[in-house]
Amino acid sequence: MRTKGWQQIFRFTFVQHIKTKSFIIGTIIMCVFVAAVAVLSNILPAVLSDRDNDPSGGSAVVSPEFDRIVIYDDGQILEDEDYSLIESLAGKTELPSVSADDTEKELLNTEKALAVTHITAQTDDEGTVIGYSVQTKYSAAAGSDAADYLNSILTQTIERRNLINLGVPSEDYEKTQISIYSTRVEAGKDELSFVKSAMNYFVPIVVSLVLFIFIYTYGTLVAQSIANEKTGRVMELLLTSVRPLAVVVGKVLAMGLVSFGQFAFLGIVGAAAFAISAPFGWMKTAMSGTGAASFGELSSLVSAGALAEDQSELGEFVNELSSAFSVGNILLIILVFVLGFLFFALLAALVGASVSRTEDLQQAMQPYALTGVLGMYLAYSPVIFNAGSLDTGEAVTNPVQIFSYYFPISSPFALPSAIMLGTLSPLEITFAVVILAVAVILAAVIVSKVYEAIILHNGSRLKISDIIKLAVRK
Amino acid sequence: MGLSVNNITKKFGDYTAVDELSFELSSRGVFALLGTNGAGKTTSIRIILGMLSAESGEVLWDGKPFLAAERPVGYLAEERGLYPKIRVIEQLLYFCTLKGMKRADAMKSLDYWFDRLSVSEHKNKRADQLSKGNQQKIQLIAALAPDPELLILDEPLSGLDPVNAELFKSVIREEIKKDKFIIMSSHQMTTIEEFCRDIVILNKGKTVLKGNLNEIKKSHGRVKLTVKTEGDISKMASECGLSVAEETPNGSSFNVRSEEQAHKLLNMIIAAKIPLIRYELREPSLQELFIESVGAENEN
Repeated sequence: MRTKGWQQIFRFTFVQHIKTKSFIIGTIIMCVFVAAVAVLSNILPAVLSDRDNDPSGGSAVVSPEFDRIVIYDDGQILEDEDYSLIESLAGKTELPSVSADDTEKELLNTEKALAVTHITAQTDDEGTVIGYSVQTKYSAAAGSDAADYLNSILTQTIERRNLINLGVPSEDYEKTQISIYSTRVEAGKDELSFVKSAMNYFVPIVVSLVLFIFIYTYGTLVAQSIANEKTGRVMELLLTSVRPLAVVVGKVLAMGLVSFGQFAFLGIVGAAAFAISAPFGWMKTAMSGTGAASFGELSSLVSAGALAEDQSELGEFVNELSSAFSVGNILLIILVFVLGFLFFALLAALVGASVSRTEDLQQAMQPYALTGVLGMYLAYSPVIFNAGSLDTGEAVTNPVQIFSYYFPISSPFALPSAIMLGTLSPLEITFAVVILAVAVILAAVIVSKVYEAIILHNGSRLKISDIIKLAVRK
Repeated sequence: MGLSVNNITKKFGDYTAVDELSFELSSRGVFALLGTNGAGKTTSIRIILGMLSAESGEVLWDGKPFLAAERPVGYLAEERGLYPKIRVIEQLLYFCTLKGMKRADAMKSLDYWFDRLSVSEHKNKRADQLSKGNQQKIQLIAALAPDPELLILDEPLSGLDPVNAELFKSVIREEIKKDKFIIMSSHQMTTIEEFCRDIVILNKGKTVLKGNLNEIKKSHGRVKLTVKTEGDISKMASECGLSVAEETPNGSSFNVRSEEQAHKLLNMIIAAKIPLIRYELREPSLQELFIESVGAENEN
């Protein structure tokens, strides 16, 4: 049997890899990073929310105020009432007493929060005012946030004065400021919330990047391991005991287990860190939002689905997460991960076998790296090419995005987010997974034929064309 | 019974590395695969071990296709290789279990060989912490520990100091006594001659001489004459139709056509009462046979 002995190679490769210092240190660093991100993403919103709600003031957000605001109203729109309004909201205003140039020079030399604003009317050929421009120059002590705030006050004030001049009573101005929210919804679909839209944006980016890192990195390690054994002449010794295909199978599966194990371990660490910090983060926020008196009561509300039905963003977030990480989805994602890893690792094994010197490996890996990067960018296509439909949950129509789900080079990175977000129907997912599985089988057949012919090749690096010729000949 | 190599040919592009090589290891003992650098020895070994496929020919064991990966074969490669960053004991256990040994049996066998080759104190070190000689010992252990029926040693003594070379030779002698099939490849004839029973000499992939070493020597006869005297014998030698092939401190060497030619020279020396220090009439050495075969082939 051509794969006899793969178990020993699998065990040795797995054990030796997880014993390396680089793996141990790398895993520890990644654990710390993942735990920190999980804890911070949990606690930080609650801490910021506490600060915003602090009745004592403390460092709660306050409107920035200027020591002096000099307004050059060249458009002659503002009236005394407007200056009083601006003063009450943004700081002491004054009419210009010197030229704008002199006042602006003062901005450079003062340690106070000072602003010089020009309001200019824009007119058409007949002299009718068609708009206003507001330009605020500010001192370093004032800062850009204060200038933006002042501009927004001035814009609203000009708008208000314009309406009054057109006959709207000043007491009715507030009524003209009602907000208008518009969306578009495809027939037969639900309107997407902020949470769902945000997930549609970020899940493909995060998932494809994380999967790329694990699948690509560990594929590269397979190539490196084979190239090291070949150039270090250990391969000759191995091949007196096992067939070349057993070496590929043992190594690919071992590195796959290391990759998946590390991926799962980091997931567990992240989930544990999130759960441990939950009482100080989202649970605390949820208790105040739902009125639950204790964590036990909150837990009852969650298990009863009360939070999921809650229209709050938190409730929806919990709902979305629980549907994205359902058992079925997790199993499907694991399957795609395994198939994707096998596909890339088999290609990497060929690359590793094609070199006779370790220093040639980096150059030989370039086509493999480009393939991986192309796959990852195609997986980004929902965000790059079809951002509009992410907001609304419209049907996927972009050909690049559809291609990315079925193309074996990109599907390992694109499919998991589509599974999590429900972008594809079960039938479409099945079809995409079958294509990926067929690609893996095809890669395995090619590797099994070509690998034996090139594993003991010595001399110049084999080019892709040489490998293709060998595959065709075999 | 044993290994049969039948008409194997291997080409790399237009270059024929091995051309119609055939030989048999029908009985236990040492078979020497000899040749200059680049003669095709290592390629032949790789084909025998199934690492390379031949364009034509077959390798059989007891009449069936031979697959090294499916029977314990001990192999000491010419280009030595170990995992540099892994402890010696771990990698040797790995190699043994790949050969189908149980861990406990492998450990027992390894302990014996660590002791036999005096490297017990190095077994827990990483390979890159060992000297070249000790790394070579570890490689020999990897080949011997599974107690294989067939042992292939490619240039086993190259790069060893005289003490370690003698240690390796003693181990090889022990393996011969254990009735193993051994294929030994080398271009150092003097070190290999004492072990081998059958030989194949390769030159540029072609077989230039093969057979039982003793029979080859006998077929050549005692044609190497060395004479050392206290007087000048060059005139006598010419009268016998001999010319000096080599002049060394040990005397003058002649290639004789027959033993009678040598005896005639001896009688003339005795008759002339020239004091005789050395007179040796012998069969050609393996080194001489090798140079003669390869040299003749290259002249052609």
